[in-house]
Amino acid sequence: MTRQFWAAITLQLRLSAATPDSYLVCVTTPLLTTFIVTVDRWAGHQTQIGNAVVAPTLIALWMLALSVAGNAITEDRLIGTLEAQLGAPASLAVTLFGRMCSVSLIGLIAFAEAWTAVSLLGGTGWMPVPHPVVLICCLVTSSLAAAGTATLLSPLYVLLPSARVLQNTLSYPLYLLGGLAVPLTMFPWWLRTVTDLIFLTWSADLMRASLAPAAVTDAPWRLLAIVALGAAGFLIGTVLMRRMIGRACREGTVVLT
Amino acid sequence: MSAVVTEALTRSYPGKRSDATPFVALNHVDLRIEEGEVHGLLGPNGAGKTTLCRILSTVLCPTSGTARVFGHDVDIAPNEVRRIVGVVFGGERGLYGRLSSRQNLRFWAALYGLHGSALRARVDELLERTGLADRANDRVDTMSRGMKQRLHIARGLVADPPLLIFDEPTAGLDPISARDFRALVTDLRGNGHTIILATHDMTEAEALCDRVTFIDHGRVIATENTIGIRNLVARVDAVEARQVPPDTVVGLRGVPGVRAVEQAADGSIRVLTDSEATTRAVLTFLLEAGVSQLNTPGPTLADVYLSLIEDRGMAVR
Ligand SMILES: Nc1ncnc2c1ncn2[C@@H]1O[C@H](COP(=O)(O)OP(=O)(O)O)[C@@H](O)[C@H]1O
Ligand SMILES: [Mg+2]
Repeated sequence: MTRQFWAAITLQLRLSAATPDSYLVCVTTPLLTTFIVTVDRWAGHQTQIGNAVVAPTLIALWMLALSVAGNAITEDRLIGTLEAQLGAPASLAVTLFGRMCSVSLIGLIAFAEAWTAVSLLGGTGWMPVPHPVVLICCLVTSSLAAAGTATLLSPLYVLLPSARVLQNTLSYPLYLLGGLAVPLTMFPWWLRTVTDLIFLTWSADLMRASLAPAAVTDAPWRLLAIVALGAAGFLIGTVLMRRMIGRACREGTVVLT
Repeated sequence: MSAVVTEALTRSYPGKRSDATPFVALNHVDLRIEEGEVHGLLGPNGAGKTTLCRILSTVLCPTSGTARVFGHDVDIAPNEVRRIVGVVFGGERGLYGRLSSRQNLRFWAALYGLHGSALRARVDELLERTGLADRANDRVDTMSRGMKQRLHIARGLVADPPLLIFDEPTAGLDPISARDFRALVTDLRGNGHTIILATHDMTEAEALCDRVTFIDHGRVIATENTIGIRNLVARVDAVEARQVPPDTVVGLRGVPGVRAVEQAADGSIRVLTDSEATTRAVLTFLLEAGVSQLNTPGPTLADVYLSLIEDRGMAVR
């Protein structure tokens, strides 16, 4: 299983290397960072500078996971590699999760980009990272959580083709709900219980905290929350995947003709 | 133990429109394939060969009936079946074109539980054996059809499964690659693999298979061993002729042993005979009638089917 996982990571790295257009978000990240920094500066919010790193990083991570997850199964079905994978004694969910992990690890390049952009725009040397260990843990768990959540979306798109609309319309509401745009304290309490179920909320909070001078409270618990939400996504994804495969097997749609 | 047993295996697909009746692609198929056998599934396009292969490789569920592979039911124990079945696709399907042969094989080998140096050794061995070693690092989508077919075979062999299913492996292949393929199948049989070979090429089936099951419209018409197939083919022959006067056509039908005379729109005819002797008689008859444009193309699969169906008194659809 772990070997299958590594093989999937390698597979996706190679597939991605051969189709660099899926990494367009890495080009847009510095631009988005610049946009946020300049808007902040114009509004006189120098203190919000951490958000100029956090928001573009998480948005890039999420968009990347979403676009690759959205196409992975459909494409495999078209080129017949889905049939070959289902004929093998291996779990499709594990393979997909592995592939998504490599996508979201590549997505972390966005952090380096955003951090560099903010530093350059600030003109006072590298932007300080007061809590580097928390930051690194947060980045790693966030990319795992993005991969887990993406594993849920892939079969969902196949089971409910209309869910694909989500891919296009739900990104911005999700950034809002994840607290990437404005602090969640601006939301009413009932909405905040919903936002707690989105890993992006926890990731954004913790990443912001790791970039601020104040001590980070409850870091292990907050990391655990990110991991738990990612794991939940993966587990639901496994169930959906089983349904998807069962349905495709019954209806004869493993292969698109 | 039999390698494959199917009992009343049936598969239907939903009709195209919602009100349409389901389309039956496999209809109560009873099949028994012994261990170590090379078994042909012969049938025209749309006969149901691929449907049967997919059920045996667990990517398609039976609608009713059962299929067992070395005793494991495809419906109840699909994972056991997956471990012992290797599928060799034909054509472009089933490979990552943007990866090299070696990268493809390493991925598939990992899905079958290989790892580390054993995985690398197995992949290298397969590349060597299928003659791909020189091009192992080329992107698959730059390779020829014949090269891709070798890779398909290597992929199917990755876990060294006791049952190998080939689905139209030589369709669209050049004659040399097709010949290499036959050598490889002979080789595999020597190693004790059980092989299912789905094809619509009668010569290929005749050359490679111990037994052949004839399928048409989802039904098994007959299962024959090598001698049976030879007799069958020997009992069917065909003569083609052009510019045959109408009364000669009528006369032809009276020649003993002539099964049928088919007339095409362009005025050419096709005479089905029941033996080579009859074929000679027909040729003599036509030459004496002054017909000079003659051809003996040998029987097609359709001709053999026709005779099989006639022999068994089945209705011709
Ligand atoms: N997924 C599917 N959905 C609907 N009809 C199908 C599907 N797959 C095959 N068929 C139909 O079933 C019949 C048998 O197909 P197939 O098994 O591919 O035949 P063969 O491999 O012998 O050419 C064909 O008429 C084909 O159109
Ligand atoms: Mg077919």
